[in-house]
Amino acid sequence: MSQTPCFHCGEPVPPGVDLTVDIDGDARPMCCTGCRAVAQLIHESGLGRYYDFRDRLPERPEADSVGDYAAWDRDAVLDYHATAPTGDRRSIVLVLENVHCAACAWLVNHYLSGFPGVAESRLDVGDGRLRLSFDPAATPLSQLAAALDRLGYPPHLDTPDSGVERDRNERHRMLRYLMVAALGMMQVMSYALAKYIGAGSFGTAGGMDAETEEFFRLISMLVAVPVALYAGQPFYRSALRHLMQRHLGIDVPVAAALLIALFSSVLITLFGEGEVYFDSVVMFLFFLLLGRFAVMVARQRSGAVHSALARALPDQARRITDSGTETVGVVELAAGDCVLVGDGEVVPADGRVVEGRGRVDESLLSGESEPRGRVAGDAVLAGSLVAGGSLTVQIEAVGQATVISGIIELLSEARRRRPRLARLADRAAGIFIAVILASTVVAGIAWSLHDPSRVIPITLAMLVVACPCALALGTPTALAAATRSLAEQGVLTANPDALESLPDITHVMLDKTGTLTEPRMAIVDVRAAEPDRALAVAAALERASAHPIASAFRPHDDGRPVTDADSLAGAGVSAEIEGRRWWLGRADWVAGMTGHSIDVPAEGIWIALASDEAESVATFGIDSRLRRGARALVEGLQQAGIEVRLASGDRASNVDRLAAQLGIVHAESGMSPEDKLARMADLQGRGARVAMVGDGINDAPVLAGADIAIALAEGAAIARTQADLVATGRDLRPLVDLFQRAPKVRRVIRQNLTWALTYNISALPLAAVGLVPPWAAAIGMSASSLAVVLNAQRLGRRTTIERGRPAPASGEAAPGTA
Amino acid sequence: MKIIYLLIPLSLLLLSLAVWAFFWAVRNNQFDDLETPALDVLEDEDDVRRRRESRGENVGSSDEGRG
Repeated sequence: MSQTPCFHCGEPVPPGVDLTVDIDGDARPMCCTGCRAVAQLIHESGLGRYYDFRDRLPERPEADSVGDYAAWDRDAVLDYHATAPTGDRRSIVLVLENVHCAACAWLVNHYLSGFPGVAESRLDVGDGRLRLSFDPAATPLSQLAAALDRLGYPPHLDTPDSGVERDRNERHRMLRYLMVAALGMMQVMSYALAKYIGAGSFGTAGGMDAETEEFFRLISMLVAVPVALYAGQPFYRSALRHLMQRHLGIDVPVAAALLIALFSSVLITLFGEGEVYFDSVVMFLFFLLLGRFAVMVARQRSGAVHSALARALPDQARRITDSGTETVGVVELAAGDCVLVGDGEVVPADGRVVEGRGRVDESLLSGESEPRGRVAGDAVLAGSLVAGGSLTVQIEAVGQATVISGIIELLSEARRRRPRLARLADRAAGIFIAVILASTVVAGIAWSLHDPSRVIPITLAMLVVACPCALALGTPTALAAATRSLAEQGVLTANPDALESLPDITHVMLDKTGTLTEPRMAIVDVRAAEPDRALAVAAALERASAHPIASAFRPHDDGRPVTDADSLAGAGVSAEIEGRRWWLGRADWVAGMTGHSIDVPAEGIWIALASDEAESVATFGIDSRLRRGARALVEGLQQAGIEVRLASGDRASNVDRLAAQLGIVHAESGMSPEDKLARMADLQGRGARVAMVGDGINDAPVLAGADIAIALAEGAAIARTQADLVATGRDLRPLVDLFQRAPKVRRVIRQNLTWALTYNISALPLAAVGLVPPWAAAIGMSASSLAVVLNAQRLGRRTTIERGRPAPASGEAAPGTA
Repeated sequence: MKIIYLLIPLSLLLLSLAVWAFFWAVRNNQFDDLETPALDVLEDEDDVRRRRESRGENVGSSDEGRG
């Protein structure tokens, strides 16, 4: 079986599918109508370069499933989510799914700016947020939303208080501080350099006379004072806050050194003779800000992926009015309203069922994987899915008052905490600062008795040289660099502690369905006289079925009409096509209905198709395809000496086949979530440190119990919320890299902390005895911080990256194709 | 050397000009997207033309759509 990759999404084109898009004269293969539609759209919009720019493959778009965004044009929705109109325009923030790389942002920005009335479109790759400035009269929002959906990026409305604005303001403020400090440093350094050169050639022609020197001092002061006062604000504020809390933060000696150096230099400039330290002050400030800026960017990036609320709730609802129903935005709902929630729709707010009955899937909220029956009088929660039936719900709580908002609030709260090692370093730095301040005071008093003129230079040198910046920066910069480069490869770090404890892992437990295999079913074998016709007929029949297998046939659907369809649960479907009755389903059922004898292999999942003609019999082998990178992951882990275990709820035959194929020795099948958790506890009880890789709702408890939880972003939201690390793509290979990189992260952190401590402890006594002038202290401080930051940057280097066109997924073919 | 009394205040003027320009850029979100503009220069002329054409009446009204 050939494994041609789809030009758009890179997945193998299923057998029997013959879809192409003509791009610049070449017929490019497509795996499904969804991909074809998107590729065509991209090409016709003149954005074909997307395929050259991208370095990650997109998700496979769902065919013909553009959502309904009608309610987005309502004034109440726009007033809530968008800014007030300025002129004709409004600005709004949308959260897009499936945003992976700069090419996605490029594609979306250029595509949207082609619509009339769109003034600005800017997509942030880090968090998938799109800032859109548009004229609702020229192009309604619903039209833009549908366009994004067609392009393969389904949009959601963002909650207005989601912190995007706050993050942006913080980033802008830091940028201003940084740039002012940089420009100020350049300027003051150039004046200082002139003076140093002058000092070197003193007495010869070109030496600086006293008047010129005085002038340079004044000018330096004129630049340095406003710069230090303005750009140093974050340090003064934080030091003040720490002091008011009676706590010695790292910013206390920093602020003290900055202010003492600044004002003593001002006094010397105005009234007396001596050294000025304007150049040291601004340089010190610039390097400090540089470090802070790097940490802030990393923190904002890692926290940005959690637009959980936006994705969990629908954007619109059907409200029941006197005259029927109307589609409204969820923000318009109020307690007491009645809404209609149909089959497959998500409950928009907490409430009580007043009419109808149905089964409700609350897995997002409770982890309960089985949908439960709900009748009139029962409570339902926002975010749960109606899976069978239709309900009329009277709303009791909306927005922030709903249970799901509370859960999400808790999660984002938990994310804000600092990593454990960084907290330890902070505490160490706190003690260290107390020691520095005390010894500075002692040294200051000692020198004031001995030689009062040297008190200020020596106090300054001690404060600056002993600044525990390197100590405090060591861990966060290393984790930030590792987090960033992992995110580029498709692993998001929700809990930075996990990176540090990853090298201790001895066992990895893997889920099968949805983790090692793709969540979707695929046709892996066709046995028929006329395969193409059999596939088309089967696809037409499956339109009547809601079974998960039906989606495997969808790409083969050529739209031929079906009449009199009937489906029998647990058996299959039958319908009339082109005047003939067909049956599709379990082989024994189809055989019984048609009277033909149908043979299927004992292994794997097989379904049969037949009409009353004997030669019409066809059988299809169905299996879930192996996820890309599954083999690399298992091999990589085993090479690293980590024991790999497969724990699956699936049948033994399927699990054993997969385990054999991947070379996994310890494979267990038929496990419930409790069994998996018990197995994990058993391993941990024997001293093992276990990481779990899972995707589904059933994995959530096991993920919570694991030493390190790794979830797949494609999987259930509840699984993601339990995870320390989230793999964003469909490929498992980034996880191999994660395990390879973790020991390096730990090594760099230890190097950083050792270096910072050694430097601080050895430099402080030297400064105390007056061997270090303040300018040298500033250089030493900056150099030690810079050494730590540069050392951390080594973690940011990319190792392997798959670029450009999709590589054929050879050797990773579907199981059961033999 | 008297010239420095003119040149150095002049450099301060330039410095404040640079700070002002930079603040303007930050306020106008010039630093928000540092990734996609790098891709724009790699575009083919054909694609740009095709995009203009597909926009129909919108041709020429906005340069690359970034207003």
